[in-house]
Amino acid sequence: MDVISLLRELTEAQGVSGQEDSLRPTAEKFFRPLCDEIKYDKLGNLIALKKGTAEGKEHIKIMLAAHMDEIGLVVTKIEEGGFLRFSTIGGFDARTLPGQKVIIHGRKDITGVIGSKSPHITEEKERKKAVEIDKLFIDTGYAQSELLEIVKVGDIISIERSIYELANGCVSGKALDDRAGVVALMYCLHKLQSLHHVPDVYAVATVQEEVGVRGAAVSAYNIAPDLSIAIDVCHGNLPGVSEFETQEIGAGPVIGLGPNFHPSIIARLKEVAKRARIPVQFDVSAGPTGTDARAIQIARGGIPTGLLSLPLRYMHTSVELLSCEDLKLTAELLAVFISTIDRVFVEGLTCF
Amino acid sequence: MKTLLQKLVEESGPPGAEEKIRDIVKAEVKDYVDEIFEDALGNLICVRKGEGKKIMLAAHMDEVALMVTHIDEQGFLRFTKVGGVLPHLLVGERVIFSSGVIGTINHEKIKELKELDFSKLYIDIGASSKKEAENKVAVGDTCVYYRQFTDLGRRILAKSLDDRAGCAVMISALQKLKDDRINELYFVFTVQEEVGLRGAKTSAYRLDPDFGIAVDVTRTGDTPEAPTMAVSLGKGPAIKVKDSSVLAHPQVRDLMIEIAEKYKIPYQLEVLERGGTDAGAIHLTKEGIPSGALSIPCRYIHTPSEMIDYEDLQSAVNLLEKILTARWP
Repeated sequence: MDVISLLRELTEAQGVSGQEDSLRPTAEKFFRPLCDEIKYDKLGNLIALKKGTAEGKEHIKIMLAAHMDEIGLVVTKIEEGGFLRFSTIGGFDARTLPGQKVIIHGRKDITGVIGSKSPHITEEKERKKAVEIDKLFIDTGYAQSELLEIVKVGDIISIERSIYELANGCVSGKALDDRAGVVALMYCLHKLQSLHHVPDVYAVATVQEEVGVRGAAVSAYNIAPDLSIAIDVCHGNLPGVSEFETQEIGAGPVIGLGPNFHPSIIARLKEVAKRARIPVQFDVSAGPTGTDARAIQIARGGIPTGLLSLPLRYMHTSVELLSCEDLKLTAELLAVFISTIDRVFVEGLTCF
Repeated sequence: MKTLLQKLVEESGPPGAEEKIRDIVKAEVKDYVDEIFEDALGNLICVRKGEGKKIMLAAHMDEVALMVTHIDEQGFLRFTKVGGVLPHLLVGERVIFSSGVIGTINHEKIKELKELDFSKLYIDIGASSKKEAENKVAVGDTCVYYRQFTDLGRRILAKSLDDRAGCAVMISALQKLKDDRINELYFVFTVQEEVGLRGAKTSAYRLDPDFGIAVDVTRTGDTPEAPTMAVSLGKGPAIKVKDSSVLAHPQVRDLMIEIAEKYKIPYQLEVLERGGTDAGAIHLTKEGIPSGALSIPCRYIHTPSEMIDYEDLQSAVNLLEKILTARWP
């Protein structure tokens, strides 16, 4: 399985939260040969089911969740002169937006750029201040009258960016948060083809994570799994940020620790990593995490949940960076974990 | 419809104590529905049976309010907010408790306006001692702005248009419905929206509809130096694209747009950067419920003087009536 080509096709496609439609066929194409069944729910979550070996009463359901949506922009106003004003869908840092190439998904897709005042005509004190979102605008070259024919308020805007292959198995691009997680799901299902596993595996490419873990909430209700693992990204190490806030790129999967996660799942993940000789790191969250695990844990009557994260630098920019090695190891750890899950483990989850 | 709206905004309905509003709504709708009941949290659920899809409508009965936290020796009341209220809007404001007790709000000595927060504010109900005050109010009592409905001609000024305007739109649309029973309709007048979309959450769970539509107010961008927003008073009701609580489901949003275009009802598209509505809770219920919202453009939301345009309100009724009698996918 060529991880880089999957990442390329998935991250270069557009799928802003709530508008994941154009991404779904691509995701489905890759999931299809790896599972027994694919279905969608009413909010658009893609659910790929790979059946396990257990029958009847022994049935176990494990839900895996990685979100396929990405942060994006939305048109708020079409101004005189043909400039488009916009707001954000998900968390952008305005400082990273000037200079970006964007696609406005209007009646047809059109290209635009986010401009900014050139240094020559910027006042001294203005230059020292970070630009704010409401001061930014998109220029498409179209006049206002032409734009009104193509674009309306509420149209989605996505960032355009190709993926770059860097040294040591690193890649950089947009939407690796969390399409890399989606690729990890695919790679995990790929590994499971040659592993015996008891549980039915529901691999879910969730929607609307970036606006409040919404897809995970309804899909967890729908599937009602016995346990669940979310796969997302965490902050990779970089200059100027303390070590305890970040994880090392290329040093392996990151196991989430804290009250969002079930102690038996954490313990099993550690055990499995040790046995399979997969290097792991740990990320502690004192409260609910900002991942799908947050919503899944409290769906229905409560679902024992775990989290595996891929260290990623420059989160929520168009040059997010991570290591494909981390991705593969995360998927392997997940696959081996699933192969160890049986009825005894599931029953043990309620023994405190 | 103005009379109905006046009745609705001049009563008080703090979150968790919406009974007075519920009574008005009940009297207005009882002859037009097949079934009417309240749930455990106080949501008023009015059912109009039909063949097609189950559609839940939600407008909230509650309004932002203040709650008494402490009564001091001199009889002054300290308070906290219930819903989104800004301290600087309260100075000099009059408030009314459900018992009818009226008071005014003022502040302790401060050097600069930015020092003003809730800890500096108090309510004076004219009591001269703790005992006298305690005869009139108790800790935990809630009060709301004390303001009259003001008809400015085309525009209306009042407190709690958020969301009595939505309630009035739903009531009027229901009263306009003809005998054709195309969809199964649940008109839900929700509680506790202002404190976290709570009534909508439990009522949607109970009803488990096919689609959800909130009817609520939205901000505008048409006042001096307002934040960028392409919604103005008088240009028609707004069809929601997004707010902080929901990304309107494309199916619901597009159907609403299609109907507005078909019947030539003026409308605007709404991208609300801050704020949420009942659709936020409805769409995340159970396995997910495709939801959207019809919004009435409103200036100065959560202040004692909210302003809407009467024509927008009437167009909202027309649009809603057409939406409810359309064939849903």
